[in-house]
Amino acid sequence: MPTEQIGSKREEQFAFYMDLLGHDLLNNNQAVMSYLELLLASPSIDSAARRYAEKAISHVKTSTLLTENTKRLMATRNAEPEAFRPVDICEAVQRAASSVQRFFPGKNIKFSLTPDDIKANVLGNSFAVDLIMNVLVSAIRLDRGETSELVATLAEVTYKEKKCWRLRIEDTNSELPPFLRRDEIEAVYDQDISLAVKTTGLLFAKMIAVNLGGNFEIERLGGRQGKEGAAFIVTLRKVEKV
Amino acid sequence: MTSVLIVDDEMFIVELYRDILQLRGYKVVGTAFDGEEALRKYGSSSDKPDVVIMDHRMPIMNGVEATKQIIRMNPLQKVIFVSADVLVEKEAREAGAVEFLPKPFRMDDLIEKMEKVHVS
Repeated sequence: MPTEQIGSKREEQFAFYMDLLGHDLLNNNQAVMSYLELLLASPSIDSAARRYAEKAISHVKTSTLLTENTKRLMATRNAEPEAFRPVDICEAVQRAASSVQRFFPGKNIKFSLTPDDIKANVLGNSFAVDLIMNVLVSAIRLDRGETSELVATLAEVTYKEKKCWRLRIEDTNSELPPFLRRDEIEAVYDQDISLAVKTTGLLFAKMIAVNLGGNFEIERLGGRQGKEGAAFIVTLRKVEKV
Repeated sequence: MTSVLIVDDEMFIVELYRDILQLRGYKVVGTAFDGEEALRKYGSSSDKPDVVIMDHRMPIMNGVEATKQIIRMNPLQKVIFVSADVLVEKEAREAGAVEFLPKPFRMDDLIEKMEKVHVS
């Protein structure tokens, strides 16, 4: 068998295995989350145990998101952007914003989107929704304050000669790792892997956005030393007709 | 009391459903670990369950195929499809599932679907 075919076969088998593995992990997360919920439903649970169980549930949610990310990447890696169904990014952002609180039970999260009443269809199916969820979770994780205030705006742009919707999410309290620069998120790959912690969600956003024919960038806002703030910019291909 | 048939290949997930549903006052009338066993049990039961909770990835016969065949036997059967494969939702609904719940789900989301399906 030619080397190319062997490589392709191995990649197929790898993708198949990753899919099965992801499925098993999600099933186990299901059981852990539900038993914690059953524990919370018990009338005899004390307040400390309740707090611990709630925190454990938020970590199961994060574990689920990370597991789903690997499945998403395997599913999108060889597909053309046109293969993905349209999704309303406005609706996807609002859905992600309303459920992101579950990842951070002790944190006060404020979110606004302007405009919030338009139809903005992009290529991406549920992958676009996951992309946005990852950006929100990453942004909040990089903000160490007790309150995270995310201000999002949506605008039409042209990117690589294609009409796109651009979502810009700003958090003036974010602390980006020093090696992250606008549109050079891949600089992470040149770092010692021990320094690349907290970038999994950002790398996922970049890879998925590119796989969907768009882009993901970050921008330093240039605020106070150490807390200069950041903008997380998602660009996705616009769909004119649904 | 609403009766339920649980179909999932993972024993611990079947036990989990049983724990949640019994706590909330539902009656688990049967369990099956693959689509074929589900059809066998469903076909031979004299009292059909009010609701079937159906997984997708299972050995021998998957959930979409099992749902199609159950709906063929009884077009009024209520099937709640539960799967970690969100991309299978369209297929599941076309097969006849009335609700789709992605895994992992919150307990309240499962109960909400159960109530919605039962009322309808």
